[in-house]
Order: sequence, then structure tokens, then C-alpha cells
Amino acid sequence: MDRESATLLATVCALLADSAKPLPDDTSLEKLLDRLTEFSEAGVSLPDSCPCLLDFISTIASNSTSDPSIRSFALKLSGLLAATEDGYRALQERSVLDIIFSVQRWKDTELWDDPCIRIGWIHGLKRMLLHPKALAFFVQSGFITPLLQLQSDPSMFVASAANQLLAHILLAIQPENKEHANIKTNTEHSRVVLQTTDHIKESLVPKEGTLAAGSLQVLKLLALILDQARRPLRDQLLMALAASLEELAEAAYSQMTPALMDVIMAGYSPDSDDVTSRLLSSMLNVNKPADLVQAAAAFLHQSHSCASSDAANIRQAVRILLLPLHFVTGHPLLGTGMKCTSKQSDRCNPSLYSKIFSAPSADTAIMTAQLKNKSTFISMICVCLRNTPQVALMPPGILPCLPAMIVLSVVTLLRICSGDASTSSSSSSLDGCKNEVYRCIVNCGKVQKSALEALASLSSSPGADSTMNEVSEILVHYMSNPDSDPTVLQKSYKAFVQWTSVWTDLSFISQQLREDLFMGVEKRACDPRWEVRDSTIEFLGQLHCVPTRKSADSALLSERLTAPLLREALQDSESYVRASAVSALARGFRSFVPDGLQGTELSQEQTDTVGRLLKILCEDTEGFARRAVVRYFMTWLSSCSSPPSSPPSLLLESVRVVLSRGSLDLDWEVKVNTLELAELLLDAAFSDHGRCTGAENHPYATFSTHANGQARAGDAALDSALSSLVDQGVFSVLLSGLVDCDRPVALKACELLIRIRETIYGTADVMSVSCELPEWGWGKEIRKMLKNEGDKGQRVSVCEVLTSLALDERRVLLSQSSDYVHNSFQSLLQDILSAGVTLGDAGKDGGQEVIVDCY
Amino acid sequence: MKLYCLSGHPTLPCNVLKFKSTTIMLDCGLDTTSVLNFLPLPLVHSPRLSKLPGWSAKDGTLNLEKELKECAGRVFVDSQPEFCLPERELLDLSTIDVILISNYHCMMALPYITENTGFTGTVYATEPTLQIGRLLMEELVKFMERVPKAQSATSWKKKEIQRLLPGPLKDATDVWTWKRSYGMQEVNSALSKVQLVGYSQKVELFGAVQISPLSSGYSLGSSNWIIQSHHEKVSYVSGSSLLTTHPQPMDQSSLKNSDVLILTGLTQMPTANPDGMLGEFCSNLAMTIRAGGNVLVPCYSSGVIYDLLECLYQFIDSANLGTTPFYFISPVANSSLEFSQIFAEWLCHNKQSKVYLPEPPFPHAELIQSNKLKHYPSIHGDFSSDFRQPCVVFTGHPSLRFGDVVHFMELWGKSSLNTIIFTEPDFSYLDALAPYQPLAMKCVYCPIDTRLNFHQVSKLLKEVQPVHVVCPEQYTQPPLTQSHRSDLMLELQPPPMAYRRCSVLSLPFRRRYERVYILPEIANSLVPSEIKPGISVATVSAMLHSKDNKHTLLSVPKPPPAPPTKKRKRVMEEPPVGQAPKPLLSGAVPLEAFLALLQKNGIMEVKVEETAEGHILHLQAEDTLIQLEEDGTHIVCDNNEPLRTTLRDLVLRFLQKI
Repeated sequence: MDRESATLLATVCALLADSAKPLPDDTSLEKLLDRLTEFSEAGVSLPDSCPCLLDFISTIASNSTSDPSIRSFALKLSGLLAATEDGYRALQERSVLDIIFSVQRWKDTELWDDPCIRIGWIHGLKRMLLHPKALAFFVQSGFITPLLQLQSDPSMFVASAANQLLAHILLAIQPENKEHANIKTNTEHSRVVLQTTDHIKESLVPKEGTLAAGSLQVLKLLALILDQARRPLRDQLLMALAASLEELAEAAYSQMTPALMDVIMAGYSPDSDDVTSRLLSSMLNVNKPADLVQAAAAFLHQSHSCASSDAANIRQAVRILLLPLHFVTGHPLLGTGMKCTSKQSDRCNPSLYSKIFSAPSADTAIMTAQLKNKSTFISMICVCLRNTPQVALMPPGILPCLPAMIVLSVVTLLRICSGDASTSSSSSSLDGCKNEVYRCIVNCGKVQKSALEALASLSSSPGADSTMNEVSEILVHYMSNPDSDPTVLQKSYKAFVQWTSVWTDLSFISQQLREDLFMGVEKRACDPRWEVRDSTIEFLGQLHCVPTRKSADSALLSERLTAPLLREALQDSESYVRASAVSALARGFRSFVPDGLQGTELSQEQTDTVGRLLKILCEDTEGFARRAVVRYFMTWLSSCSSPPSSPPSLLLESVRVVLSRGSLDLDWEVKVNTLELAELLLDAAFSDHGRCTGAENHPYATFSTHANGQARAGDAALDSALSSLVDQGVFSVLLSGLVDCDRPVALKACELLIRIRETIYGTADVMSVSCELPEWGWGKEIRKMLKNEGDKGQRVSVCEVLTSLALDERRVLLSQSSDYVHNSFQSLLQDILSAGVTLGDAGKDGGQEVIVDCY
Repeated sequence: MKLYCLSGHPTLPCNVLKFKSTTIMLDCGLDTTSVLNFLPLPLVHSPRLSKLPGWSAKDGTLNLEKELKECAGRVFVDSQPEFCLPERELLDLSTIDVILISNYHCMMALPYITENTGFTGTVYATEPTLQIGRLLMEELVKFMERVPKAQSATSWKKKEIQRLLPGPLKDATDVWTWKRSYGMQEVNSALSKVQLVGYSQKVELFGAVQISPLSSGYSLGSSNWIIQSHHEKVSYVSGSSLLTTHPQPMDQSSLKNSDVLILTGLTQMPTANPDGMLGEFCSNLAMTIRAGGNVLVPCYSSGVIYDLLECLYQFIDSANLGTTPFYFISPVANSSLEFSQIFAEWLCHNKQSKVYLPEPPFPHAELIQSNKLKHYPSIHGDFSSDFRQPCVVFTGHPSLRFGDVVHFMELWGKSSLNTIIFTEPDFSYLDALAPYQPLAMKCVYCPIDTRLNFHQVSKLLKEVQPVHVVCPEQYTQPPLTQSHRSDLMLELQPPPMAYRRCSVLSLPFRRRYERVYILPEIANSLVPSEIKPGISVATVSAMLHSKDNKHTLLSVPKPPPAPPTKKRKRVMEEPPVGQAPKPLLSGAVPLEAFLALLQKNGIMEVKVEETAEGHILHLQAEDTLIQLEEDGTHIVCDNNEPLRTTLRDLVLRFLQKI
């Protein structure tokens, strides 16, 4: 911190200590605290370098008129200062810690009711509690009691912060290991642990008439602690809370299932048979299918680390997650019989299984009850679907069916969702409640989306290719179904692309299906909703990218069919669609322009398309489409294996146009893309020159003599390369970019110019290469920088320009973020000061308060 | 209360409700699907149709070559198309007091009901319903009269012949009741009986019931009806829609608390979502035009076409269809487009507010102004000189049996570049296309039916909670082709009462109360006495006067001055002169107190016997019985009138007189 800042900080502290009103922008205090934290973390001793902070805290401790937000800041600041033992000592010497953190004092002044004071108190303590002295201060002051009260604070932020602090304290005071458990200091600490445990125990099970929110909050705290607690503390907590947790698990409060599972999984280890194992077993056997599914999903989600050693639980979780799909689709996902195997019987509740899922049995009441609540049923199915990809990857010993069966069941579910009848006959388990199932899921967008997402992810499951026919049929059906909403359609496209990249042989797809696919896509390309057109065009582009293992003829949609759709989409009224069409054309580049380069090889249609793209670049009103055009030419250019040659091809002619138009664009991203195109030309031009390896060259690195020797050998080639770059307009683009008002553009141009400078450094032959500077616009700017404003109409030497533009300094300047001036510590302090002065003036004049709108 | 069901078509209903001495017809829809059995009526001579071979039975026993023609394996009647009328034998149509019309599609049989049947009642409808209904009828008449057909085929209808014909002619029902179209004169006469009503306007029918139309959200001026008396309410829900299209939104809350809700006119396409279909329509239209083909849209001249044009208005630019001409051809095209713009008060809020800007509520005005949409009364005249291809043509009739559409089918049917897009849900598209086979043109079926679907109607019924629901039998089971779709039927508790053509349902609720008015002077004379807290009773002596289904209590006329003795006969003709009625008694006789009172009055020997109804007191000395029961007291005392009177007076002491 420089002296000026230190002086300013003192003034700010004085102002704040004196202020009875909040600052107009309350984020400025947070920013100040962040800055001070940064200093502290960087090793600056704040009490030594800024004694004004101590004075400020002392003043606030004794002043009763300050604004609560400033007091809250003071609390947090005290914590920050006391985070080091020196700072703690300094504050204790002034006896401010006892005063400022005294809850009674805050309560006496009735400021405790203000949540910002309570949160300041918690944050202050949390910052402070990094060393034993601070911990001792906390314990001896008896702060644990108010902190436990804050744990159920009405303000969500306060309660959550209290949870964090409690966990922090408990973890901080836990003994290193069992041997240390009996040392003397622990008596006080163990009182804290005991008090916290008692509090958790008391609040864990919701009492009659109380809200479940308190229990949820306590569960969150417990999960936080158990997640990091070591042996003695962990065991102590679990032993003390076992009964309450079991009671909670048995009571099966649906809304608490996820939080309870977090606690169980935080304390769970598969090799021990403690309370968490019992709890887990109990959660995986609750009587409500929706909760059961949630618990199983949570278990599976968090049990990666112990997968191999906990096969029984995993097996059961997998079965639970497959049950609803089995029930709805009738596919034997759980094997042919639904009974528990002997291995599972100790863990699962067979009567429940038979009760719920072995339909058609006499009692399908539980499942039917689930069906009555449509939203619960749907969310249960969605949870199952979300987990199917993970389930399908389980080893055969765990999975009760082949992964392909899971894929088929998702396909069947999608069929049912679209109202298809053919599947229902197979689902014997549905007989009893078919009507309800249909009512719940036919046309249900949520299930459709989840199922399509699951299907997309299932493409990587083992043995998935055996389901190609079913998957492709259902996806094509969804693509052409007029009732598919735009998101469903997009997800169908995504799934299809994902699957096509997995299918090794596309010949299985029948001609009829190909025709259906094309007709669906053709229709969608004309859809009135632009989102649909856009995702359709994107889909066509993605389909081009799918690597075809066979000949081009085996492609799902031939270029001949799709190219007219893409060309039509270039004229779409929506810019996103135009942009997607351009990108799709670029993606399908290799097949569209078979050998890439020579204009003479292009068909008339293809030449027309290039013309249209250039027209979009020149005339389109939206940036997306123009950016896509520049990227299109980048793709084309980078796909050329041989360097551009004469006579000028369509590509080179077009690139020249793109460079000149792109650099004049109003959209900065178009300009950056244009510079990237120029970079490709640089790469091509300097490809023979070992010296030019792009950004990894340090700008200040000196060239080795060896490199120079190599370079000299290619001097002549370099000369011609540079000339051709100048001829192509690359150099002009870079110079105009350098003086561009958009910083990223100027930076990119500057880097590229430096690159040229480094490449041609010391090459005598290139001295003669010159370029023309226009008398207007950027040319004028460059002349000004070169200080040759008088020499109008003359060509300038490229080398001279490159060396005289002070490119390195310029790059340093451009690299700095645009707000670096305004974002400094000093400017922050000045802002606070001026805001405080304005506040003071407003107070004096009785004028209106200035309200700064903060986002 | 009875319901006579004269139509079996769920969306073209015709029911008659007998309620409180009124006979109310609810809609008179005309089932036009019968025309699919007839050959199309071409506007210009069609060599193809005229060369179709006549039909005769393969064994040669039957020769109907003149009446029936064969085309692509199907047999068609070569005659002026005929319609299936509502049942006219179930009920004497002259007894109908009023006809309530819900929307312009449900009034096409009106001339058949009101003309030449002795009908003398009134027809109630909203103004747009009347005006657009008139246009549709006028269009129908013109379509028929433009291509007169001398021949009238009747032989095939004979029962013994019909059963030998191939399907679907063989299976056609009630063919003898099928009738040719009416003429303009009948239309005008029928419509002259219409009395206009506005939404929520209450109309009294003979003082017995009150009827009131409610917005149903389906089409311009479409309505549901409330028919209620003071104590009963019947709701009639016909074609209704909850979608945000051009008409005023549906009024649902007024349907609450109905004793009976008659539910008709649900969507005919429960699995086709109108939004999806609209998208499908636009996509296929654009695809065809881009490929250089023409698009033919067979449609009615009012209704969904407004929404289609609005959708296209937004779509034209995005699909680069700016230069494609859109033609709307109908004898009433101009009136339909203009009418839609003037019924502002019947439109949805958005469109209503446009009128105040002022802007035309429908954007088709702009399409017409910019020459993108052109309308013509027929293909003759100006159209033939303006006609440019590729183009989009909207024209009727959606059955493809008459109207200008027949011409375009003949013109474009042979090219696979062209597309016909069906948007009206009333006709099976395969049946409609049958006489044009083999057909090269592409065919797209995207029926747009905005009426309530089963999901919406279940929600609606949950909301309005009628006691009983009556609906066509088709709604009580899943569609035949999708028997697994149990979500496509009405499942209610108690189950709905289903009807079919010719059903007569006794509606399951009894009228229990009737409102009676009381004159102020009688009200003044009443002396209420409280028998329970909050309940008072009074006896009323008055004369009940009933006229026009209104009942009033008038004061009893004073007895005329004593007449001369000889004129006694005349006295009999005067209204009966009542004497002041005896007071009514209420209360109970407490046993103990009564016994004490008897003792006080010298009756000592009383034997009390407890019975199921109360007590029997045996006055042994007097040989008299007193039966004290909850609802009566009897004194059985033979030949001792003074004792009986004494005992009676003792009992009366405990009772209250009213």
C-alpha cells in the first residue's frame, strides 16, 4: 500500500467513524474489505501499516450513533485484523474485541435486530477464528450460545452463515486424533461440542406444529461438519444423534430426503457398520416410492469413491432407480422376477417390493397413490431418467439387466409419452393403472425432455448399438412430430447426433427412415418458429461433422438434399438462423467444396453460395450472421492443404473481400474474427519460417544465432511472403485494427504486428517491402503515430512502420483491463470519500439523498 | 325435465330441452358428412368425372349405372349432394318455443327446422353468429345453385337395394331423411325469425325461465347458454375454446352451480394440438412454394381462416414468401373478411384495443392492402386474369364435393409439386380425396380444431362442478382407433349421462321449489311467531294467482254484500270466500305437567303406558284414552262431549297457537 493510499484510508476511516448515515453505495464497504483482505493475505500487517483501522474500530466500539452498515463493516474488519495473532493482541490491548463482539451490548442498543449486525458479527468471528487465541476468546466469551440461536435465524443468510461458522469452529477444535482427546484444553472445547450436539439433537426432529425448515437447516449443518470431521468428533456426533436421525429417517419427511441423504453420505463409509449404514439401509427402504428414488439417486450420485466395496447398497439403489421405468414400460429391467435375491434380502424390504412393483398384484395401491399426484410421479420418473446413464454403466454384477434393455425402456417411455399405443400391450405391470400412467405422462414435456437427455447420454453405454433401430425410429418420430415443442425437438436432434457418432454402420437405417428423417428436417427448416428452424439448421451442420466411417453415400442425409435447405436458410428473416446456416455450411465444408481451393472446381450453385455469403457480410444488419461468414472463410482457408497459389482462386478473392469488409465492420467480434482470418494467412505465409511459431514466442526474447542463420536462408521467400501479405490486404487490416477503438481488436492487431516484426527481424531483403497508407481514417491515425503526416500519398516501408509504432508499449497498455484506472484501491477510497462528502452536504442542505443504483 | 336428442353428431348437435313448460331447441347443426358419398360438382366440365363408369352389381342383378359411378374402387352417387338432417320424427317441431344458437357452424340446419314445419317460435343468436351464419348458408346455396344438377338419384336409397351396395354407401344411415340444400328464400325466412342477443343479456321466456348467452371463446359471437329458473340452472356448453385466438375469451365462471350441464362440441381432433398443426401448415406451405408448387387449402369462409391468415401474415416474411400470391375464393369472401373487422366488441381484448388506435383488428386488412391477399367471388371473372402461379388458394367447400375447390383439385391434382393442406376437422381427408384418386399432388392433414380437449374440459368441470353432466356417447369412451387412450374420454363421478341420436333422456333432477310473490298488504298482515331461534312461521290466507308462469298471492276478496236469496247460484261463481282459518298448533305436551293438570281438574286415576310413539294415558274412571304422540294427540272419549272438550282445552294450554 503506497503512502497516498494510507493517507486516504485514514481519511476514509475518520469519515466512516463519524458517519451516522449509510453510504449510498453499500457495496463500496464490501470492496474495501476485499481490498484489505487481499493486502492481509499478501502478508501486509494491517495493524502496523494502517493504525487508523484500529482507531476506527475503537471509535465505533465506543460510538453509539454510527450507522448499522458501518458497524457491521467494523465487525468484519475487526475479525480481519484479529485473524493474525499480532492483530488480535493489538485489538485486545485496546480492549475493543470484548466490546465490539459483545452480544449483550448489541442487544441493549436494539441493533441486534438488524440482520446486517448479526451477519457482521458472524463474519467477523469467522475471519478471526484462525488461531488458538481467537478460539479461546470465542469459547471463553460464551459465544456458542448466541451462535446456536442464530443457526435458526429468520434471515436465511444469517442462518446459513451461522451454519458455516459452527462447522468451522467444530472442525477447528476437534482433536488431532484419539490420543490427543484427553488433553486439558479440550474440556472447554468439549463443552462447545456437547452444546452443539445437544442443539442439533433437539432441533433435528420437527416437533408438532413447527416448520420443517429448522430441521433442514440443522441437517445442512450436520452435513457440513460430517463432511470434514475426523474420527473422534465424527463418532461422537453420530453416536449422540443416532436415535434422532433414525427417527427422522423413519418418519420419512419427503422434503428432507435430500438433506438427510447429504448427512448420511457425509458420514458414510461402506466398510463400517455404524449408524450411517443403518440409516442408509433405512432410507433405501422407505415406504414412499418418490422418496426412495430420491434417496437412491443421492446415494448413487455420491458413492463414486466406494463403489466397489459397497456392492449390495449400490445394487439396491440401481434397482430402485430402475423400478419406476420397469413399472411404466413393462421392460423386465429387474430381471424376470421381481423378488429380492437372497443377497439383498437382508437389506431390502421384500414385502414393499412386491407391494409396489410386482404388479399385477392385488395391491398396487402405493404406486397408484403415487400416480394420483401427477407432479410427484413425473418428478420421480425424471429422477430415474436422469440417473439411467450412470446406472447403465454399472458392471454386470450390479446391473439386473443388460444396458441395452435400459435404452429400450427409455425408448418405450418416449413412445408412451407421444401417445403411441403399440407399447402398452407388452406392459403387463401397467394393467391396473394404465389410465393413470397415460394421464400422467402422455404429452408431458418434462418427461420427454428428461427421457431424450437420458437417451442422448445412454449412447455411450455398453451394447447400445444393438438398439439402433428402435432409437433411430423414435428419434425420427420426435423430429417429425408436429406436437414436439422446440426444446423437445432440440433435444431429439442432440440425441440423434450423439447416437450417429456411436453407430459404426449406418447401413442399417432403412431407406424409409432416411426419407422420413429428411422430410422431417425439410419441414422443420420451414417452421414458423425461428428456434425450430435454428436448431434444425444447427442439426444439419452437426450431422456433417459426424465422422463417416463408410463412403459419403452412406451418410444419413446426402449433401445433395441438405445443401438447398442451408442455402435457403441463408435468407432467413432471423439472424440466428442465418448465422447457423453459415456455420452449418462451414461445417460441411469438405463435402461441399470437395477439393477445397480451386474456384474452377466449384459448381455454379456453390459459387453462388460464396457470393451470398459475401453479401451477408456486406449487408446483413445483425452481427451473428456476419461473424459466422468470417468464420466460414476461416474454415475454408484452414482446410486448404496447399498454400494459396495464382491465378487467384475464388477463395483468395473472397478472402480479400472479407478482410476489407470485416475490418470495417461495426461489430468488434467481426473485426476480431477478421484478424483471426488474417492470422491464418500469416500462418500460411510464414509456414516455412521456423522463427514464427505464434504466441509462444516471448515478445522480448532475443533470437539465437542459429535461428538467425536459418532465417537468412529463407530471406528471399520471406520477402515474397511479406509482399503477398501486403498485396492481400493483411497488413492494412492489421494497421487499421491497431488504431481501432475496440480494445480487443487493437490488442489482437498489435500482437499480430509484433509477430510479423519478430519474424522479419534482421532480414535485410524485406526492407524494400512497402505498403500504402490511406489519407483518411486509420491511415491518418497511423501517420500521426509515425509522425509523417506531411508525406501524403507516399508508400511507407513495412519494416519502418513495424519498428516505429512502439508496438510493445502499446501491447502493455492494451493488455490492461479497461477499468484498471477506475478499479484501483485509491479510486475506491476516493469514491467512498466523495460519497461521504455528498452525503454530508446533502445532510447540511437538507437536500435529496443521492441514490446510487447498484446491480 | 327431458332432453330429446335429434342429432348423433357430437359437434353438430341438435337437442331439445323441455323445462318448466318451455320447449327449447339447443342448436341445429347440419351433418354434411353425407355429401362425401356423392360425386363432386365441377364448375367447368370435367371429362374425367363425366367418363367415370357406372356401377352395376358383378352378378348383373343390379344395374344403377345412371345413379352410381365408380372411381378408384369406390362408388359415388351421381346427384346433387344431400345432407343428413336432424331427426324430425321424434318430436313435433311446431311445439318448439325457442331455438338457441351457439355458433354459426351449429345453425346450418335452421331452414329445415323453421320452414314448413309449423314452427312459430323465436331463434336467439348473437349478431356475428347471425351474420356469418347467413354468409355460410348463402355460400352453400350458391355453391349448389351455380351447378344445378337435374338428376336426383333415389333408387339406391331403397332398403333392398342399399343393402346390396358396396360400403360405405351400404352402411349410410337414415338415407331417406337426406335432403338437398335449401334455397335463399328459405334461408331469408329462417333468419328473419332470429332475435339478436348480447353476451350476458337475460331474456325471459314466458316468465318461466331465463336464458342468457355467455362467451364461449370458439368463434366470433360463439356462445354457451345458461337456462335457469329461480331454483334450477341448466348450462349448455357447445363449441368452446380456451385458446387465445381471435374471439372473446370463454366465460367459465358463469357456468358454476349448474344442476345439469349439457356438454357438446369438444374438439374432434383430441390428439392434434392446434399450435403444432398451425406450424405444420406453415412449414408445408413454405416447402411447396419453395419447390415451385401450388398450395390448396379447402376451408370454410369464416373461422379458422382468420387465424391462418394472421399466422401467415407473420410467417410470409420469415419464409421469404413475400412475392407469393394468396387467393381467397368464395362467393362471400369479401363479406367474410370485412365482417370480421367490424365485430370489434366480440373480439379478444388485444384485437379490441386495436380498434381504438384505430387499426383493423385482423392483419389480413394489411395483406389485402399490400396486394398479397386477393379475394374473388369465384374462379370466373377477374380471378382468371389475375391468376399467377405458384400460389396459395383458400377456397371451399372442405368436403371437396362442391365449390371452387373442385376446380383446383382437377387442375392441380396431377402434379406432385402441388399440395393440398386440410385444416378443417369436419371431414375425413381420405374420404374427401376418394373421387379424385389416383392423385399425384401431395396431401397434408393438419386439422386445426381449437375447441376444448379432454384435458381442458376435465379441468373446467372440476372448476364449475355441475351436479349432472349430459354428453354425447362418443365422449364416454376412448376413440375407436385409439382404444388405449383412456385420457381421451370423460371420466366423471357420477358418470356422465350419454345420449345418441333419437335418445330421450329424463334428466335426473326434480324441481322442488317454485317462487311465489306476495303482495305488500298481505305481507303486512302476517304475524310471524318464532318457533326456533331464527325461524318464524306465520299462516297466510290468500288467493294464489298464476299467470304467465308467475305466481302471486293476492288478498282474499271481501265477501260481497249479502245477495238476494234467489241469486244463490251466482254466489257459487264468485271466488270462494274463506273464513279465518283455525290457528295451527305447535309444541309438545309435557307428561308430568299434564298429569298434574289433570289431577288439578279432578282426574285422579291415570294409568300411563309408554309406547314407541309416545305415551297413552288411560283415564280409568272416565274410561277415556289420551294418546300423546310426537306429531299428534288423540282423545278417545265416547259419548262424553263435555269431558272431551275439557280434556282438549287442557291439552291446548300446553300448545302454541299460530
